[in-house]
Amino acid sequence: MSGSGVPLLAYLLVSGAMFLIGLLGVMIRRNPLMVLLAVELMLNGANVTLVGFSRFWDTTDGQTFALVVMVVAAAEVVIGLGLVVAVYRQRLRLNIDEMTRLRG
Amino acid sequence: MLSVLPWIVLALPLVACIVLMLWPTEPDRRITRVIAVGSVAAAFALVIAIFVDLLGRDAEERTEVTTLWEWAAVGDLEINLALQVDQLSTFMMLIITGVGSLIIFYSMEYMEEDRDYRRYFAEMTFFVFSMLLLVLAANYLFLIVGWAFVGLASYLLIGYYYDRPSAVAASKKAFVVNVIGDVGMVLAAFLLIRDLGTLEYTEVFATAEGGLGDGSTSAEAVGFLLFVGAAAKSAQIPLHTWLPDAMEGPTPVSALIHAATMVTAGVYMVARSNALYELAPYAAGTIAVVGAITLFMAATIATVQDDIKRVLAWSTVSQIGYMMVAAGLGLYGAAMFHMMTHAFFKACLFLSAGIVIHAMLGEQSLDRMGNLRGRLRAAFVGMLVGALAISGIPPFSGFFSKDEILAYALAQGTLGVIVGIVGILGAGLTAFYMFRLVFRAFYGPDPDGGYNPEPHVTTWVMAAPVLILAFLATFAGWIQVPQGWKLVDDWLDPVVGTPDLKPSLGLEAATSLVSVALCVVAIGVAWWLFGHGSERRLAHAKTLARYREVLHQGYYFDWAFEKFLIEPGRQVGAFLRDFMEPAAIQGSIRSTVVATLETARGLSFLQAGLVRLYVFTMIAGLAIVGVIFILVGT
Repeated sequence: MSGSGVPLLAYLLVSGAMFLIGLLGVMIRRNPLMVLLAVELMLNGANVTLVGFSRFWDTTDGQTFALVVMVVAAAEVVIGLGLVVAVYRQRLRLNIDEMTRLRG
Repeated sequence: MLSVLPWIVLALPLVACIVLMLWPTEPDRRITRVIAVGSVAAAFALVIAIFVDLLGRDAEERTEVTTLWEWAAVGDLEINLALQVDQLSTFMMLIITGVGSLIIFYSMEYMEEDRDYRRYFAEMTFFVFSMLLLVLAANYLFLIVGWAFVGLASYLLIGYYYDRPSAVAASKKAFVVNVIGDVGMVLAAFLLIRDLGTLEYTEVFATAEGGLGDGSTSAEAVGFLLFVGAAAKSAQIPLHTWLPDAMEGPTPVSALIHAATMVTAGVYMVARSNALYELAPYAAGTIAVVGAITLFMAATIATVQDDIKRVLAWSTVSQIGYMMVAAGLGLYGAAMFHMMTHAFFKACLFLSAGIVIHAMLGEQSLDRMGNLRGRLRAAFVGMLVGALAISGIPPFSGFFSKDEILAYALAQGTLGVIVGIVGILGAGLTAFYMFRLVFRAFYGPDPDGGYNPEPHVTTWVMAAPVLILAFLATFAGWIQVPQGWKLVDDWLDPVVGTPDLKPSLGLEAATSLVSVALCVVAIGVAWWLFGHGSERRLAHAKTLARYREVLHQGYYFDWAFEKFLIEPGRQVGAFLRDFMEPAAIQGSIRSTVVATLETARGLSFLQAGLVRLYVFTMIAGLAIVGVIFILVGT
């Protein structure tokens, strides 16, 4: 366990803040782009926790996991943005409250 | 040898039935004939071998039970698939296969015009198999199995002409009434299992006295329940109404099933259960009384029937009444003897009637007959011999068997005297209705309008069985002569016993004289009324119209069943259909559907497609769970 550097509490505070901001964003924002951004923020909040505990226990497991999460997040964003573009092409308003049906 | 032969006897008609049924196409009629007649005749030959084998043994060693395998073992109750060869079952087998092969032989020509040749013979062989199983079974379970099988065979053959609504109705009626009897039998078997823990004949009869008790309620209950079965199968009042309707089947079927063999199964069963009826005096007395009522009522009804087969059907009911009187009074030997002679003369009568019907292309009404004696000689001989035998005119067989029943009945105390007198009156009626049939069909002038076409003479295939049966109906009585030798009684004695009270020579002579005199008078009256055309008959029919109507309606049994059982049943059914069924059955299904739909509709607002709402709900749920965990954790 490394005693020097940033303390674990700071990691957790930052990550918790990021997660909560993301969560609020998902719940409040109506623009799908913003929702995607907020989801990304939540994922990265979780990543910060992983990295923080990785430092705390002085292992590399958490950091490896964080990399995997990033890959997944990238894939998710690709699909999410693809959907947004598809919606945009249908000339629909970018408002997820109006997207209540699977059939356009 | 006795362990194998009965199984072969049983298997032969069964195999014949299966082969005929599974034959891929309608087989050539010659093949059908060879299989059907061959199997039953071979069974008859083997039964004779069994009989000869038994004759060579001592009287005590003639019972042989062979078990094929254990059918069911539940706790202490063991039921085996076993056959019992003894004097009684051999006696029955001789009648079944002997008369059966004659009648199936006769059917070859009788059924020639019908399209379902194969089905007829398959069902006939199935009947022979079932009847053999019934008499060979070594326990009550397989007795009931055979009992139900013959009921099925009877149902199938009554409904043989399935495109005729009356035949279908008659077959259903026969089946339903017989099932009432089956229920009685099954309940009796349950009581035996409860009190004795076994259904094997040998064990039941050995333990009955200790297990049931002499004159105990359960012994009486078993006796009554078994008699319900016997009454249904043997067409005793009030379960007799199916038998006259059963005449819808082909005539050889009526001869074999509804005269010679199946309907006497009830008498066989009572004789077989003699050890139980000794413990149940009231049940036995009831059998005698019911038999006496039946024999008298059926004989009176037979006097007004205009259908040649229905006369014979009612006469069968009446004759089985005699057997039941004998069986109820404990005169099992006399009952079985009368069953044998009845099988001969009644089969002879039915087959003669069959020749007439066949010759007249299906005509059965006596109104369309007359002066047939020169045209159908074989039928005339058969009918005359049968009528003399059934009326009890010496030296024909019915004289010996019926007078034995009557004389012995008169020697059996008060009840015996009463039923014996009814029996003597019935004998007079029997002679009257039988000779009414003979005179109307074979004497007098041609019917109105003459015959068109002329009745055609049948070949020896139908004549030979009639003549053989006529021979037997004439001479079979001599094996048991009053005050002389009693071959049937002696043969059956180890199984059914002999009555203690025997009539004196004077009583036997008086009974015979009275009944024969009554019969001769009755024949004279019949000749006076029916011997010379229809004038006198129609004049008297008019004056007696009211009584004739009662008899035509069969004492209103059918009417009463219709009014008090079937119609209320229909009303209950209609009530259930109109009120219970919509509310309970359809209602429950419909409300299940509605409830599901409404629940789904009510909850569907949750599935609004609002992603933010989903997230909020999820987080809120998570938060609640978290709060609960924290609260519980502390």
